[in-house]
Amino acid sequence: MTCAITDIKIQGYRIHRDLTVKPNRKFNLVVGANESGKSTFMEAVTLALTGRINGRSASDELNPHWFNTVVVDEFIQKRKGGLPAGFPVILIELSFEDVPELQILCGAINTHVPTHACPGVTMTIAPNPEYADELEAWAKTPTSLLPVEYYKCDWRSFADKELSSRPKLLATAVIDSRTVRASTGVDYHLRHILDDQLVPAERAEISLEYRRVKALMSETALSAVNLRMSTVHATLHSQPISLAMDQSSRTSWEGAVTPQVNNVPFSMSGQGQQSAIKISLAMNRNAGRVKFVMIEEPENHLTHTSLVTLLDRIESLAGAEQQLFISTHSSFVLNRLGLDSLILMGHDTATKLADLLPGTITYFKKLPGYDTLRIVLAKKIVLVEGPSDEMVFERIFFDTYGKRPMQCGIDVLSMRGISLPRGLELCKKLNKPVTALRDNDGADPAALRSSVEQWLKTGERELFIGDVAEGNTLEPQLIHHNSEVLLREILGITAAADLLKWMTREKTEAALRISAASKKIVPPPYMLAAVEFAHGK
Amino acid sequence: MGNELTLAVAGSRKTQGIVERCASLPGDRRVLVLTYTQTNQEELRSRLKEHAGDHHNIEVMGWFSFLLSHFAKPFFPFKFPRQRVLGFNFDGRPDRFARGSSRFLDARGAAYACELGKLAHELVAESKGSLLRRLESIYDEILIDEVQDFSAHDWEIIDVLLRSSTDIRMVGDIRQSVLATNPRSKKNAKYSYANAITWFREREADGLLEIKDSVITWRCQPQVSAFSDMIFDSSWGFPATQSKNDAVTDHDGVYLVTTKHVNEYVDRYKPQCLRHSVSSGKNFDLDFLNFKVSKGMTCERVLIIPTEPITKFIQSGTYLGPTPASSFYVAVTRAKQSVAIVLDDAGASALPFWQPTS
Repeated sequence: MTCAITDIKIQGYRIHRDLTVKPNRKFNLVVGANESGKSTFMEAVTLALTGRINGRSASDELNPHWFNTVVVDEFIQKRKGGLPAGFPVILIELSFEDVPELQILCGAINTHVPTHACPGVTMTIAPNPEYADELEAWAKTPTSLLPVEYYKCDWRSFADKELSSRPKLLATAVIDSRTVRASTGVDYHLRHILDDQLVPAERAEISLEYRRVKALMSETALSAVNLRMSTVHATLHSQPISLAMDQSSRTSWEGAVTPQVNNVPFSMSGQGQQSAIKISLAMNRNAGRVKFVMIEEPENHLTHTSLVTLLDRIESLAGAEQQLFISTHSSFVLNRLGLDSLILMGHDTATKLADLLPGTITYFKKLPGYDTLRIVLAKKIVLVEGPSDEMVFERIFFDTYGKRPMQCGIDVLSMRGISLPRGLELCKKLNKPVTALRDNDGADPAALRSSVEQWLKTGERELFIGDVAEGNTLEPQLIHHNSEVLLREILGITAAADLLKWMTREKTEAALRISAASKKIVPPPYMLAAVEFAHGK
Repeated sequence: MGNELTLAVAGSRKTQGIVERCASLPGDRRVLVLTYTQTNQEELRSRLKEHAGDHHNIEVMGWFSFLLSHFAKPFFPFKFPRQRVLGFNFDGRPDRFARGSSRFLDARGAAYACELGKLAHELVAESKGSLLRRLESIYDEILIDEVQDFSAHDWEIIDVLLRSSTDIRMVGDIRQSVLATNPRSKKNAKYSYANAITWFREREADGLLEIKDSVITWRCQPQVSAFSDMIFDSSWGFPATQSKNDAVTDHDGVYLVTTKHVNEYVDRYKPQCLRHSVSSGKNFDLDFLNFKVSKGMTCERVLIIPTEPITKFIQSGTYLGPTPASSFYVAVTRAKQSVAIVLDDAGASALPFWQPTS
């Protein structure tokens, strides 16, 4: 049975003001820098699929921090300015494939334009009209903490039917990297995973047997005690008092049964082992009912070898009928599970590789996953043509600001020539600030710029190119702006060697010496401008 | 399996037939049982619980709930983008000059019951197939009880259902179509009430369904059921009722009772007294029920105050129009053992007068 999510829409939820993602049918590797909203994305999808967050219902967990701060600020400003702006609302909408099995969830109560009917679920967190007076009273002196007490969580299918519990059709397994330390060894997510392993008949049998064993205790071990206690007249009206095993639902077998690994209780096993078991249980073929698997950062707590084993397992267990969302920081995970399934999380955008130009896709597929990840993960990125540009840029940056670019969250990436437009395209898709540098190679900078104009944006993504009159590449540019004496000293070459020839031949060596020299080099203006732009005001 | 309509006579245990049908189906077959009246829903639910409690895929729903939850609510935006149906308004009517969505929804967003059929039918087409596909995926079979009670746009919806891949089985007694889901609507007026039979026969001719007759009554004794058959002229093509009530009492069959003997008759046989409406039978101080209200009831004996057309029918054999015929049929078929009609002049009728001495 297939029933993948086709569209994810998240509005006003934490960092995501308005995010739309069209996930892949099978694997989705969610990759992004810290604070880019990876976990929030995973959390939102889980919330709409299960109505729960961390195993508790949305309304129990609802707090003011769920709301996007920008949206809240705008609302407060408008209200302070006397405008009757509506209260912030959170919307998480999942559309599914239009398959027969999911038709009960089908309808047109969704945000699709034009009107479109498909199966789907929506979690809306909006002001409760029953508290209109209280809400308006609060809005007279609003603060950034919304009065969520007057909000309600509304979980519905696209058929406009309220959902009260997780629809069976949307069975979801959540595997978080948090380790289970609950006394029973089974947390909410694990309980769900275990539940899905058992057929109802097995569950009933375990339950009955557990109750029987407990009852037996009352007759054996407790009976002697009870005999003695029957003579103690402790109660008000001298009724006999006795001990019995608790048969209430509070003490059902689920609370006493725990998975064991090699005879070691699950909660006592290592963190890596725990995640591995959770993943294997959730994706197990017997767990055919699980349709969606959410895995958070599987690389956590695992050695490299364990990670390889785990990824192998994820790959081999993933059935055609399961849709996986895996958030990761690891370039290894990325390369292993394939770039095709990448969802790059940027600020309020999520880019799939498939959204890029076909040539660009091929390019990034060939590129080591590490480089792609660097672009995705960096707060700011500097794209340069080669290693020599990289080293010189880093040095000039250090000379100007007394810090290395990395310390300012700036990643300098050498793109090796042809790929500059590809890099810029990706950065634009990711909404990522980028500083690009290139040689003019004797061509007019304006003409060079126009070829990548579509990816640029003033103040966000700019391209820096040296003046043709000052040299075609970095080396003549350096010679143009530095005295020969200084250069020879920095580079440590004799008067016999031709400066330009040596520098051109020994590009990388020259750059290395510049970067290690005790004396500062005079930066070419385009590079200094690039450094200043990258650093920002 | 295909579509099927069972035309049943009064007292033929229609509801029981539905319950037995449900019990006989495989447990995984997803069945929806639809009915019009609230009392019948409760009756069905409790009987299903008793006789088919092990079937977990059987759902009982009222006709309006059906239209709301599977038509109006999920697909409303196809007519009015970004709008929702927020509730149900049973009594209200839209303003004559209402435009746009206010033709269907009141100020609070609740759908008018009287316009729901029209709305639902329009959404079938507007949703470009989504609506029907959804319904076909959710139910394998839809059983409709009291099909004679539907009217107007409801017929269009039944027509749509008959053309879907879901099996549709209906039971109804066209002879007692007294209630209509939308008495005010003009739509399909030619099919309303007892004319519904024509509508079904047209569809049978198109191969959309098979019409079966269920002619055995477990309620009315032979003379009463034979009399009930005479109410409709033979051009309707209704088959003769067979009675399986062979109980014999000291007073069985159909009688005329003169005005002066009414009180004595009532004292002696304690019949359920029936009248057309509050305005009829004013000359008698009896505990009456109106014909319509008596629908669905079983009585040992009934005493009927005839309307002017009923009087004429008895005296001269002039047939009643479809609607009066239906309500008279309902009144007569309440009785297990005897029917008494208050009449002083028998005209050409062969019915015997009840005599106090007899």
